[in-house]
Amino acid sequence: MNGENNDDNKPVLLWLTAAAFAAALYAIFFYVPTERTEGVVQRIMYFHIPSAWIAFFAFFIVFLCSILFLWKKEREWDIYAMASAEIGVLFCSLVLVTGPIWAKPIWGTWWVWDARLTSTLILWLIYVAYLMLRIHTDPGSMRARYAAVVGIVGFLDIPIIHFSVLWWRTFHPQPKMISAQGLGAGMAPSMVGALLISLTAFTLLYFLLMGQRINIEKLKDEIDRLKKENLYSH
Amino acid sequence: MNRYCNQVLALVWKDLAIEIKTKELFSSMFIFAALVILIFIFSADLSVVNAYDVGPGILWVAFVFSGAIGLNRSFMLEKENGCLQGLMLTPADRTAIYFGKLISNLVFLTVMETFILPLFMIFFNVDLLPRLGPLALVIFIGTLGICALGTLLSSLASNLKAREIMLPILLYPLLVPVVIGSVRMTSLLLAGKPLSSMINWLGLIACFDIIYIGVSIMTIDHILEE
Repeated sequence: MNGENNDDNKPVLLWLTAAAFAAALYAIFFYVPTERTEGVVQRIMYFHIPSAWIAFFAFFIVFLCSILFLWKKEREWDIYAMASAEIGVLFCSLVLVTGPIWAKPIWGTWWVWDARLTSTLILWLIYVAYLMLRIHTDPGSMRARYAAVVGIVGFLDIPIIHFSVLWWRTFHPQPKMISAQGLGAGMAPSMVGALLISLTAFTLLYFLLMGQRINIEKLKDEIDRLKKENLYSH
Repeated sequence: MNRYCNQVLALVWKDLAIEIKTKELFSSMFIFAALVILIFIFSADLSVVNAYDVGPGILWVAFVFSGAIGLNRSFMLEKENGCLQGLMLTPADRTAIYFGKLISNLVFLTVMETFILPLFMIFFNVDLLPRLGPLALVIFIGTLGICALGTLLSSLASNLKAREIMLPILLYPLLVPVVIGSVRMTSLLLAGKPLSSMINWLGLIACFDIIYIGVSIMTIDHILEE
């Protein structure tokens, strides 16, 4: 039942994501004017910020699904948490790659120990550890429970890490999208538009990848079930 | 409540009795921490850099590294001969097991730190005595944070295949706020600043301690479950 539903939805989501990415690429490379001081390298911001957004969003979903798993003890939530953590680590890696590419020409160094960079790196390490925990544990209820505990513990650490590294030091450009002056006050309207299109495209991509990953995991479960039925039943 | 306290104390006493008899954990933690300090002394030339600048960081690295050894041992000990099964079969609450382990880990780490501090004073030629009271408080809340989270993760890591390596990999990134805060406070104290000037760091680490003791109480049932 669920499978049929998925098959109907997938192409729609796939085409929507493809269209959104085409629009985002057009907006980033043709529509948006080149930034006056930073030059062409500033365009990487349209990939950097959406990746960061997806990483944080994905880790929040891990947290939510971990709580729901410990509460309901349903395999479904474990699969969602795992899929979201994998996608989160992927986009967090993209943030950590695109950041230095921008920083080298602008700041003159690949890396500075700024608050936001540091907390993103720590976040990446926490969720890599989460995925390693899953690899090192045998599939089953124990793995799901342990992963859920780490998913909760890891997310609760984010605000504390944020404050600790903020008091430690900060040089990152202040967020321009959401500032005290209001939404998008620090940016040209065309840039805000391109960023919004890019954010939409990345969010759609997140849901597309989630759907795929969840499907793969469910198929794995199905194979395991069939193996058990056919190999060990007689 | 009284019964609960007795259960926790019985668990703490059990760990202390084992340790007093074997002295295995203390000796390995102390020697390891001393070695960490020694290695860092070779890596940072003390005739060039100021001991007050690098000292606090090295001190906390030693605490955190050798703390992980103690935390790793605390539940591994129970895995041998299926002692953890026995503990879970007792009518004690699962949180009592957590608190028992938390307190015994706290005691082991504090004892190790008490012996490391004089060594640190001698090697780095730093005078800690006038600031000993505030420093003890800073070390205590930092160590409580390490133990609160470390005990939870140790109970989890003891059941894994790669248990020795998984605990540090899980623990260290999560401990970053405690390490930053403790190092910052220790260096402020060594610079002669009063405790009132670092109230934000104290609050942050106290929050960390409270959050993770709370989370552990809520989640330990899901870890110690067979």
